[in-house]
Amino acid sequence: MEIMYFYLLAAVAVASGFMVVTCKSPVNNAIALMMTFVCLANFYVMLDAPFMAAIQIMVYAGAILMLIIFTIMLLNLGTAVARKGSHSVVWATVLALLIAMQGYFVINRGEVSGITGEITGEMVKKVGHTELIAKSLFTDFLLPFEIASILLLVAIVGAVIIAKKEV
Amino acid sequence: MLDNYLPILVLVAIAFAFAAGSVVFSRLVGQKKPSVVKLAPYECGMPLFGTARDRFSIKFYIIAMLFIVFDIEVVFLYPWSVMFKRLGMFGFAEMGVFIVILFVGYVYVWKKGALEWE
Amino acid sequence: MITINHYLVLSAVLFSLGTFGVLTRKNAIVIFMCIELMLNAVNLSFISLSSHLGNMDGQIFVFFVMTVAAAEAAVGLALMIAFFRNRESIAVDDFSLLKW
Repeated sequence: MEIMYFYLLAAVAVASGFMVVTCKSPVNNAIALMMTFVCLANFYVMLDAPFMAAIQIMVYAGAILMLIIFTIMLLNLGTAVARKGSHSVVWATVLALLIAMQGYFVINRGEVSGITGEITGEMVKKVGHTELIAKSLFTDFLLPFEIASILLLVAIVGAVIIAKKEV
Repeated sequence: MLDNYLPILVLVAIAFAFAAGSVVFSRLVGQKKPSVVKLAPYECGMPLFGTARDRFSIKFYIIAMLFIVFDIEVVFLYPWSVMFKRLGMFGFAEMGVFIVILFVGYVYVWKKGALEWE
Repeated sequence: MITINHYLVLSAVLFSLGTFGVLTRKNAIVIFMCIELMLNAVNLSFISLSSHLGNMDGQIFVFFVMTVAAAEAAVGLALMIAFFRNRESIAVDDFSLLKW
């Protein structure tokens, strides 16, 4: 049952990912991208990471995609850039297939190993996923957390300076 | 694990069925007597001018950009609020530093006049 | 039974789709969306490995990837608006001054 659901979702994710790459109109690309984000949020739920699914929807589908659609409307791309054509499709296809095959072989030949922890699906259910994230984020990853705020500050300043007319 | 999410799946299914159902049903059952007035986007009210494909003002972009950054800040606040009691003073201080740094950005944007709507 | 390999293969497929888009498209905003697709593919493999190994670190990484993606969206799209103001176009071919 669950494997059927996985294949269905994977098919939708790959199909909408393909639409992101091929559709002519940028608005259609953006809507297809939203479909991919929602599918990935589903996968996160299946992987015992419900908090990640929630912020996937909040940050990607809610905020970043909205900004992309705003920019498309702002620049009015439907009429302004009616430019046809693309870069060499053949070489891009070859390279993309090579990357996919490389990934496939590495995954099939290799053994997944690493520092294993003791977090299981039952534990996530009992303690709560958000709490496990918080415990890790605010103790082990303290410095990256504070650096993230500086990154966001730089992003605010940079975007305002670049986007605002004649500051 | 996934059983808990069954209500959400049912909700999505009903929403899809309702949206598709309304379109199909009105296509099948409704009468079709179009006239110029009926085909206008607003049947009563102002006459239309221009197209919907006009360019938007840059002001919208600045607001949307600020929304993104502070949305991320709120996402960081969620796990913190869950662990607030147990993290104690230490957690309060680190979140304080985080918010003060972002507040500097907020003050900058305010002083720069990016929030003014003219 | 869904194994870790299912998720990793899906992630590889999405990543190469994104690569294909970045290499072929000319519209800078579409290229940006393809980059987001690649970031999401990597996020999927991070989370599947993290949940496979029972270790939280991968998911914290995804948290930071999302933060970086938001900052990137804010600055990158502002750059595109600045480009558009100068050249009335966002086709990447029109920004080839530094190309030799």
